[in-house]
Amino acid sequence: MRFNGFVVIVASLLMIGCSSLDKPDSTKMEGGELVVSLDGKFIKKSLLDKKVSGITQDTVVYGQKAYKIPYTTTDEEGNEVQVSGYMVVPTGLPDALIDAKGFSVVSDDHGTIFHNNETLSVIASLTNTPSGSSIILSSLAGFVTLQPDYIGFGDSVDHYHPFVLKKSLANATVDFIKAAREFAKNNDIHLNDQLFITGYSEGGYAALATLQKIEQEHIDMPITLATPMAGPYDLNLTAFGVLSQEKLSEPSFMADVAYAYANAYSHPYDDIINEPYASKLSSLFDGTKYMEEIDKELTYKTTGDDGLFASVFVYDFANNADNWFRKALVENSLQRWNPQTSIRLLHCKGDDIIPYEMSVWTKANLDAYGAKDTQIISIEDALGLPYEVGHSQCGILAYSLSSHIFANIRKSTIGY
Amino acid sequence: MKRLIYITLATTTMSFSAAYKVPEQSVNSMALGAAYIAHTMGADSAYYNPASMSFMDESSYAEGSLTLVHLPPIKYDLISPYSGKSKVENIAIPNFHYVSKPYGNIRWGLSTTTPAGLSKRWESPYQKLYAQEFTLRNVEINPSISYKVSDNFSIAGGLRVIYSEGKVYSDGSDASYPIKREMRGDTIEFGYNLALLYKAPQNINIAVTYRSNVDLNEKGDANLYLGDIGEQYKADVSIPIPAALNIAISKTWNDTFTLEFVYERTFWSKYKTLDFNYSPDITNPILSDAFDTPIEKNWKDTNTFRLGATYQLDKLTLMCGFAIDKTPIPDKTIGFELPDSDAKIYSAGFKYQQTNNLSWGIAILYDHKDKRKIPAGVADNRVLRNGGEFSEGGALLTTIGVSYKF
Repeated sequence: MRFNGFVVIVASLLMIGCSSLDKPDSTKMEGGELVVSLDGKFIKKSLLDKKVSGITQDTVVYGQKAYKIPYTTTDEEGNEVQVSGYMVVPTGLPDALIDAKGFSVVSDDHGTIFHNNETLSVIASLTNTPSGSSIILSSLAGFVTLQPDYIGFGDSVDHYHPFVLKKSLANATVDFIKAAREFAKNNDIHLNDQLFITGYSEGGYAALATLQKIEQEHIDMPITLATPMAGPYDLNLTAFGVLSQEKLSEPSFMADVAYAYANAYSHPYDDIINEPYASKLSSLFDGTKYMEEIDKELTYKTTGDDGLFASVFVYDFANNADNWFRKALVENSLQRWNPQTSIRLLHCKGDDIIPYEMSVWTKANLDAYGAKDTQIISIEDALGLPYEVGHSQCGILAYSLSSHIFANIRKSTIGY
Repeated sequence: MKRLIYITLATTTMSFSAAYKVPEQSVNSMALGAAYIAHTMGADSAYYNPASMSFMDESSYAEGSLTLVHLPPIKYDLISPYSGKSKVENIAIPNFHYVSKPYGNIRWGLSTTTPAGLSKRWESPYQKLYAQEFTLRNVEINPSISYKVSDNFSIAGGLRVIYSEGKVYSDGSDASYPIKREMRGDTIEFGYNLALLYKAPQNINIAVTYRSNVDLNEKGDANLYLGDIGEQYKADVSIPIPAALNIAISKTWNDTFTLEFVYERTFWSKYKTLDFNYSPDITNPILSDAFDTPIEKNWKDTNTFRLGATYQLDKLTLMCGFAIDKTPIPDKTIGFELPDSDAKIYSAGFKYQQTNNLSWGIAILYDHKDKRKIPAGVADNRVLRNGGEFSEGGALLTTIGVSYKF
């Protein structure tokens, strides 16, 4: 019997499992979710390891706490849409300084993306690492960066993306600035009233559209300076340029414009795009494919029976002033208004996708309508580069220059 | 409550023999440095050579012991800030053995032991990055049965049931890598053991034992952090308790003095990689690189040579042992979770027959680890690739036990 008791004891060992592991502390916060939290030392090391130009051991690099913030905006059709945005707060600045002065804010509209995994808040949620322009604006320049995911990405990936449609891009940006300020208030992040607006490529267009909305709708959101960068501000001019070419350099871009405008203006896709491509548009632009994958599914020939755009449509667009697409592009262009905020149109002279002349033309138009203070800055000239830089390579230079301009203004106004 | 206390003691952690296998599981085996296969003397025969149960007298045997393990720190010297020192470990390990009365030519036994274990904890920044804590706790229940084939030959077999818990903590925050892992898992695995004993003329015993490999497939949860952001995954990792073959011979003179030699071959080459698996997949490239990349191990089979001497007086049995124990870990794949080196083992002890039925004993074992110099440019580990030297470490074990015959 004694032995039986012994057997029971030792056998009971088998019934005991190790204690379970508690889940990590929740990263949920009031009105958002913490998705990146890294110190400046690690970010600096990563930048040094990647041999990022201009980063040395002496460079001051701030850490980042980044948040994915859900909010509500309005789409082209006037419907409410649940969307998301990405807010980056630099860490490592002296508490006393921030308590006294607060963070200045940069609203940055991102460039064209196609796959939802390219969305900044999604990248951050998946990798918990910083990416994109917030490294320049927040980690190097110490601004709070606000980047809306736009309708069609992040939390609203099921919605079509209103590519270069100014109303929804501006709505997404303005509503995110409001949502982020509310989030900051609820979570003890001290923001001051200084707000800069910027964005590159599609983001440049969105930034200027945002400024137009704020001014024309008299939204109480004073902008210190706007630096739209390399945006297709005149869409009609851009479309004429592209559709008159025999070949499309990246058919995904123009196909996305056609897809978004057909949706927004309720026209069948095959009014614009030839089959078999028209039937594919919904699946190509649903946020599950990268640009390279989309380009492979399309033709590079602009028009004709075997081209991307229907010949009848292209002919009508070129010759009929009442063509719906032409009218829609004019309606969404950002030439005809009189901004009262200071604007610096930053553009690389060597831009091979959206020519530098786009900014020249835009400034001329805005000035003609009575713009108060609009200037063009050639990025190559401002940085003293002895060569011209194309659209892709220009992005990082544009953000560096923009953050430098913002930082100078902050220094002279806020004092740090 | 008592059961919980028992668990804490039983699923014990250590690493004092080569790598993480623990051969010494009783007073006698401790005193003889595990040169204890051909000439076993008590209930612990159920574990060391169940075939020898056939030749024990017709009583039942039970034995319990408690081993106190002291593991001094291991030092790693390179240059600041890469040098470091592991924590001291003090552990208590209980063992139990039982041998039944014979049923004809058949006899059975049962042992609960700790066949393997590992606990290495570091506080220094670069060591913590790899092994803030690396712990493997095990308890084995090993029922066995012997069959007396003839008056001088017996065979035996047993079932190995092993409960294991693993704990892996890594923390790079002090080494400028803001990554952290907390993993816990457990498993129950099965194996077998075989034994034979031939009692040759002139008091010579010849024995062979084999314990099968058991893969500990630890399954549980892992929290992985980058900066302050953590996520929980299902996780598993497999670590083998390797197969071991022992060939032993003993000779007894005048029923008083016994000398035993054991050759042990441990099949560590089974340990090829340390490969943590996570579900869902890790999407973070930094965490994936740090924690989801299989780590090559490619350990080598080892030979261990053990020599034990037993001197039987009236009521007192004196024992001592010596062993040479080689490490299975090549320079290329050594890591901070187990910076093992070759060892020499010195042991001694005694047993005292208090009454006809009751005896007790004490044994002590000192495991002296050689210094291990890691040549620069050889190791896969990013810190150890710079070279350096492991020193100190080793182990001091004290066992007290009581045996009862009824």
